[in-house]
Amino acid sequence: MQIRIRETDFTLLADKALWRHDTRQLIIADIHLGKASHFRKAGISIPADSVLEDMRRLDRLMKQVQPREVILLGDLFHSSYNREWHLFEAFLESFPSVAFVLVKGNHDILKQHRYELPNFLVVDAWEDDHFLYTHEPTEHAQKFVLSGHIHPGILLSGKGKQRLSLPCFHVSDTQGVLPAFGKLTGLYMLERNAKDRYYLVYNGIIREMK
Amino acid sequence: MNLAKIWFAQKGWKPHRFQKESWAAIHDGKSGLLNAPTGFGKTFAVWFGIIQDFYDRPKPKNNKLHCLYISPLRALSKEIYLATNRVSNDLNLAYSVELRTGDSSAKDRTRQKKDKHQALITTPESLHLMLATKGYREQFANLEFVIVDEWHELLGSKRGVQIELALAHLKALRPELKVWGISATIGNMDQAKDILLGPVSENTTIVRANLEKKIAIHTVLPDEIEKFPWGGHLGLKLLPKLVPIIEQSKSTLLFTNMRSQAETWYQQLLERVPDLAGQIALHHSSIDFQTRKWVEEHLHSGDLKIVVCTSSLDLGVDFRPVDTIIQVGSAKGVARFIQRAGRSGHSPGEKSNIYFVPTNSLEIIEGSALKDAVAHQLIESRIPFVRSFDVLIQFMVTLGVSEGFSADSLYREIKTTHAFQSVTPEEWRWCLDFITRGGQSLKAYDEFHKVILEDGIYKVTSKGIAARHRMNIGTIVGNSMMNVKVLGGKNLGTIEEAFISKLKPGDVFWFAGRNLALHSVKDMTAIVRASKEKNGIIPSWLGGKMPLSSQLSSSIRKALTHYKEGGKLDEELKKLKPLFALQHEVSHLPGNDELLIEKIKTREGYHLFVYPFDGRLVHEGMATILSYRIGLLTPVTFSISMNDYGFELLSDQDIDVESLIDNNLFSHEFVYEDAIRSINSSQMAQRRFRDIASIAGLVFTGYPGKEKKTRHLQANSQLFFKVFEDNEDNNLLLLQAYDEVINFELEVSRQQAAFRRIGQQKIVVTYPTKPTPFCFAIMVARFREVYSNEPIEARVEKLLKQIEKK
Repeated sequence: MQIRIRETDFTLLADKALWRHDTRQLIIADIHLGKASHFRKAGISIPADSVLEDMRRLDRLMKQVQPREVILLGDLFHSSYNREWHLFEAFLESFPSVAFVLVKGNHDILKQHRYELPNFLVVDAWEDDHFLYTHEPTEHAQKFVLSGHIHPGILLSGKGKQRLSLPCFHVSDTQGVLPAFGKLTGLYMLERNAKDRYYLVYNGIIREMK
Repeated sequence: MNLAKIWFAQKGWKPHRFQKESWAAIHDGKSGLLNAPTGFGKTFAVWFGIIQDFYDRPKPKNNKLHCLYISPLRALSKEIYLATNRVSNDLNLAYSVELRTGDSSAKDRTRQKKDKHQALITTPESLHLMLATKGYREQFANLEFVIVDEWHELLGSKRGVQIELALAHLKALRPELKVWGISATIGNMDQAKDILLGPVSENTTIVRANLEKKIAIHTVLPDEIEKFPWGGHLGLKLLPKLVPIIEQSKSTLLFTNMRSQAETWYQQLLERVPDLAGQIALHHSSIDFQTRKWVEEHLHSGDLKIVVCTSSLDLGVDFRPVDTIIQVGSAKGVARFIQRAGRSGHSPGEKSNIYFVPTNSLEIIEGSALKDAVAHQLIESRIPFVRSFDVLIQFMVTLGVSEGFSADSLYREIKTTHAFQSVTPEEWRWCLDFITRGGQSLKAYDEFHKVILEDGIYKVTSKGIAARHRMNIGTIVGNSMMNVKVLGGKNLGTIEEAFISKLKPGDVFWFAGRNLALHSVKDMTAIVRASKEKNGIIPSWLGGKMPLSSQLSSSIRKALTHYKEGGKLDEELKKLKPLFALQHEVSHLPGNDELLIEKIKTREGYHLFVYPFDGRLVHEGMATILSYRIGLLTPVTFSISMNDYGFELLSDQDIDVESLIDNNLFSHEFVYEDAIRSINSSQMAQRRFRDIASIAGLVFTGYPGKEKKTRHLQANSQLFFKVFEDNEDNNLLLLQAYDEVINFELEVSRQQAAFRRIGQQKIVVTYPTKPTPFCFAIMVARFREVYSNEPIEARVEKLLKQIEKK
């Protein structure tokens, strides 16, 4: 689904990522890589194969949209170092011409030397003329803020006491919050307000709520 | 020298016949089950057999444990500890008894390991903790006896499985070990014996006390049933009628079914009778242990006029001053009702006095049903858990943490238990894989680490994993709990984190019988101060909802039929006459040969109410099966609600139930198959999995105040459930969740009986224009299940259509 923010075209992707047309940027929040391995290392048997799912989805998405730059809006890696990081290193190597920028999130606690990779840059925030990229949502006087962190979701309820909760993109006049990319993540339910726009993501579908 | 003879003569008492029988059986080297109620010296019936055995034996050179006494309750352990030590002192016997429970300090525990004592009183969890400690083989090297108290209570829970595993392991260490269980009367006494003693033991017996106390049952009735509520479960309406009962009694225990309800009753009683201040106390499992201990002590000394409590006082030592029991709301089962009644009237020749307080009008019928069921001694069976792989996996890691185990010998041990006798070599291999490789083959990047195999021995080497495991031992799964502590003062107890997290500092809530304002939250502790503000909110604790037993259900159906057929009415049924007349007028009053279905349309949608009177679990299962059968014809989403009398299927579309009935909607064929197929579309297995994941060590809840170390290791069981379903559908823990749903929630055997009965009944469909006396309580119930076989896209579109219209 295509939307326009501050004279700039974006596409909301059903893979829970954002595609910025003018800069050919792929924007992704809260992948939480390494979570499964972090659990397994501590003797908690989350199936090892689930580790690969997010990586495969990421890989497919990269080939599909062919970005020039990938902005990771924080919480790329779930916790302290485990060997799952090497999967990510190999992934970076397979896209040598793409620049990856990690906007550090509260979960990104790896030692600095782990981040020292050729096409990988770690920053606290990233910006250009009109947009500010951060991990946590924040307000900026001039720039439009793109962030993640909260894992936004919407609870739908209706007749027959039916309820469904779904991840969503949340777009206001000043900010856009992305849903969490990673599979092993939860949801935080938003209270809707009339001014903002909400885009539900489910089963490969993006659907705006009116 | 006969120790029992001397001691009883000293006291001037005469032993009961069942005590002599037990002593003789123990003397003959038998294992057995003693069936005796509390309050008649059941402990002594076993105890003197054991100390006599010790006395008759040549003195061992090393003073190692001779007897292990397992009791499910800390309060009970303490009492047994005092009583047995008194015997040793009275007889000047070198037989020292120690106590070890979750409350024992680390210092105590180390001392116990070094010190020489002959008997140890402990809980199932503490026993497993001992097995998780190096040196236990040495400690149990001379063990002769294990006593398991309140076995009827443990049997129907996973704590029973814990006992089975521990006993099998101890028997492997000590093949000549004798095991004695003590149990109240249950429907499956012989099975209870076989499970405890194991299928291989031959030299066994059941000793029956045959001492049943007389019970006087009174139902507290509203003056005007027309003004009595149709729904609700608090029962406060009848509070004024209880005041004289409490005043005329020496000491009263008032049982409620839920903790929040106990809090409310305590508050309301104090408000109504301010003179009770200082003589009234509150007792439930979330209240701080020290406070509970204080309450119990003052119940003993007779200083308390009334204690408002939950199942937390179901078991335990007798409080002699208590002469009256009040049961608010359904007791759910005959055995439970008798057990609670038995907490009063302990002096010889006295009878137990229990008042049943219905909380809504239809519940009055339970008073009539209970009298009938108690008169006919329709006592429920306890259904044992089998194939609880979560408990097995926990146990394997427990042994790994201490001395390690060899796969072959442990497999032989568990095969002797009732719970795991059917485990195949493949399943055993899966369990070993699960703890060593996380269930899957290790990949290059994988660092799974829990139990490792070294020289044929499985063991845990990581200190962190061992420490976390020790903290997690047990099968009672709670939600994440927070300590509640007065600012600069004492602990009050624990409340679910989810409740506290909704409060802001300054918000007032009612807990542990006080009005409190939240001051701040630090780590896992909520700091509070006293508040003068009234009307604080009362926390709710998520607890299991007990279903009505089939014994009590059938007694209710019997009472209903009795009424319809114009039999002689007791006071309860007389009182219900206007209500039944109204039900008959607006809908229909079903007899035993009828099944009533009510179809009602409201603003919320289309309601179908069905009344089998079979208990909430059977109703839940039946509702799921019917949803599945209806869903075969058309994609549908139901919100399901139930109580012990019937259930509701609520939908956003009109269901043509009449033609469905003609098409065998209620067929008793394929009930089992349909039950299995229906589980996938409901959330039952997922809910069951919550406990399983925690027991098997997947979800680490930690202890209040200690959760910090597990940062980044928090995940909810739903996530695991989904990941297992997607990646590893042969996961035994996942399959266990389905099995538990089939056996304990859907109770397929009861289900089949219910469908078969319905097959004989005439189905009556009515179309009331407003809620009926029967449906009202079900309609307003907040806890609901969901069944859906509609594709998610369709559900989203339907919901959005309603939302966006506004």
